[in-house]
Amino acid sequence: MKASRRPGGAQAVLPDAKRGEGRGSLLWLQGLACGAMVALAPMAAAAVAVLLTPSVLAVFLDRQPGRPVARAIFLCQAAACVAPVRAIWSGDHTAGVVSAVMSHPYEIGSAWCAAAGGWLLTQLLPIAVSAVMEAAAITRAAGLRRRRERIEAEWDLGSPDNA
Amino acid sequence: MSAPFDASQFHDPADGYYAVHPEQPLPLAGGGLDAFAATDRRSPGVPLMAVRIARTAPARPRPLQALTARVENLLVPLALLNAGAGEDSAGYVICPAPAGKPLSTVARPLAEPLLIDQVLRPVAQVLETLAARGLTHRGIRPSNVFVARGGRPVTLGCAWAAPPAMHQPALFEPPYSAMCRPSARGDGCIADDVYALGCLLLTLALGRQPLADLDDEAILRRKLELGSYAALAGDERLPPMIADLARGMLAEDPEHRPPPGLLLDPAVARARRVAARPPRRAPRPLTVGDTAVWDARSLAHAIGTRPADGLAVLRGGSATQWLRRGLGDVALAAPIEELVRQRALDAPSNDQRADAILSMRAVVLLDPLAPLCWRGVAVWPDGIGAALIAPAGEGDETPGLLAGMVQAEAAAVWASLRDERCDSMTLRLDAQQHRAWLQARGPAGGLWRLVYMLNPLQPCGSPALAGATVRRIAALLPAMEAAVAHRGTLADKAGPAQSGTGLVDAEMAAFIAARAERRTEADVSALSDATGPPGRAVAELRLLSRLQARYFPKALPAIAAEAAGAVVPALTLWRHRPTRDAVSERLRRLAEDGFLAPMAAAVDDAAARAADAEGARLAAAELQQIEQELARAAQGGDARSALASRIGHEIAAGAGLVALTGVLLAAALG
Repeated sequence: MKASRRPGGAQAVLPDAKRGEGRGSLLWLQGLACGAMVALAPMAAAAVAVLLTPSVLAVFLDRQPGRPVARAIFLCQAAACVAPVRAIWSGDHTAGVVSAVMSHPYEIGSAWCAAAGGWLLTQLLPIAVSAVMEAAAITRAAGLRRRRERIEAEWDLGSPDNA
Repeated sequence: MSAPFDASQFHDPADGYYAVHPEQPLPLAGGGLDAFAATDRRSPGVPLMAVRIARTAPARPRPLQALTARVENLLVPLALLNAGAGEDSAGYVICPAPAGKPLSTVARPLAEPLLIDQVLRPVAQVLETLAARGLTHRGIRPSNVFVARGGRPVTLGCAWAAPPAMHQPALFEPPYSAMCRPSARGDGCIADDVYALGCLLLTLALGRQPLADLDDEAILRRKLELGSYAALAGDERLPPMIADLARGMLAEDPEHRPPPGLLLDPAVARARRVAARPPRRAPRPLTVGDTAVWDARSLAHAIGTRPADGLAVLRGGSATQWLRRGLGDVALAAPIEELVRQRALDAPSNDQRADAILSMRAVVLLDPLAPLCWRGVAVWPDGIGAALIAPAGEGDETPGLLAGMVQAEAAAVWASLRDERCDSMTLRLDAQQHRAWLQARGPAGGLWRLVYMLNPLQPCGSPALAGATVRRIAALLPAMEAAVAHRGTLADKAGPAQSGTGLVDAEMAAFIAARAERRTEADVSALSDATGPPGRAVAELRLLSRLQARYFPKALPAIAAEAAGAVVPALTLWRHRPTRDAVSERLRRLAEDGFLAPMAAAVDDAAARAADAEGARLAAAELQQIEQELARAAQGGDARSALASRIGHEIAAGAGLVALTGVLLAAALG
């Protein structure tokens, strides 16, 4: 995404139709994978769907280019979903196993808390980074002003005769 | 071209030898000028007199330069003294005091032998001596010729303390000299002294002054109409020898007068006959303005002294008509007619310069002996200098008219018209030189420059010298130092408002340009090139430093302090403040030493100034860069916020990715 913003980058010159085509292919692949998973392991797919509900919501709610908030939420939640999915998978992903795992509040809670943690990170980290950057800018401006005062004190550049 | 006069030989140390006693005036000794008793400290017993030089009538440089040895029967100049502080004079000429009384006090006719032996021969001998040295006396009149008791020969008085013939009455001057401004009669020739001696003999033989009831103008007109001898002697009964001698000595043409050497033998001089025709007189007069003229020389005089009326009769044709029909002189009328015709063709009718040249040429044609007449002012070319500084009265326009004359190089035209009577080549070169001085750029040129160049003994008239008499360039700086110190004292008393004026005014600049060596002229010209008071102060400092180095290498603390104060505004040209302060401090320290050259070098350091300018340029560029950066920083808040948001999101995603990777690894490993 960053490369596409550079005026001289290769992505910048790609036609919109081609870029839309690439996103469409990815969507088709994702749909195919989901379909295959539903067909092969419908109970496991249902469990994953429940576990990843916040990420799915974030994908729909995040309208920023590249969906950075949804991405962070998904990655954090995915990390929390590894253990339940593994348990379902190792238990032959039957309905009983799925309901046993899903009925345990810790599994769903931890996954959704991870999603919440990811969201919190996307809200706090920009503030922190902004604060650091502002502090650096203020420090730099103060240095420049000191330098300016020093030059003005040292050199008489104000008189029209001296221009 | 005449050789420039070197005023530097008049060393002021003479002031230390002689003492003037203003409390002891010598009323009759100065020949009309103020004279006082004086003493030579080396020979206190020798009676001397000091003849006062007026500020507007400069002393004569050539006699003061050439008459260094004693001349029998002549009061030779011994020294030129400066006036004391506060005196309204330009100094004194020290001469021996005359031994007797002036001849003007003799009220009875003198016998012929007495006149020959005690007056004619001794004066002729003096004139012979003067002529041998290329000098003239130009002051032979009864009040300036002194007779001692006991049958001793007469002594010619001091004629050196004023321009030549300035104090001569018209009676004792040839018409061509008498019609000039008194200060503009020039050195003339020895024949003019012979003329004056002839008048003196006539006066002494008669025992009274002829034409005593007429004023100078009337005497002049009478001389022009009748001829000098006829005008003065008239029907008077004179001793035959004196009458014959006076007739020759009063000849109108100086070339017809006997030379002084011939007068030493009066019998031979008497026998010398000159065929001089009396002036041709017209049967009816020509009226020029309110004057009726009867002869050509009178017409020339009328045209020369009344330019408007003269032009009217010339351009109206009445002059040529009168010359042709009244005077019957067709040969004279024709060239004048041609002049008028040429004038009408060459220049527009309102061209005053062309009118002046027409009048001048007409005067020369009508009277080849006449002086240069320019718009009503009659001068001899070598008298222009004195005429420039001797105003005829309040509101006198003479300097302006003379400037116009110099500008037109009228002397060259005048000389070319009377080539056989003067050295026209020299006069032409002089005229060109005078014009160049007048036109020179800045204070190095103009009327003041002309005044000082043509009057080498004229003291500097700058008010900045507080009345000090300064003739030599070497004396300028000490006098300035004293004046500035005095002014500084007054300013200290009155407060700082009086200080801070310029050191070199226009008169002083012209004086420096005229007296100092030639390369100084560029520094004087630079005064006018300087922009604003700061630049002028630096230019003055530079000029004065050159003068100090060349003419007076001693400390001048008062001038240095004044100059240091004056150049302070110029230091703003230094942009680096620490350097400016350092230069200012250095100037202050150097001013205490009183030497101007290091001060000028400190202010005028071209390499340092260039480095300062380059530093200022870099500083300005850096300042501009800083301003741009600050502006960018002030306007970049939104951009920084967006960047911070993006970075924050990337970090959050990275953290999630790290967590996922860790969990996957943990799951894979077991």
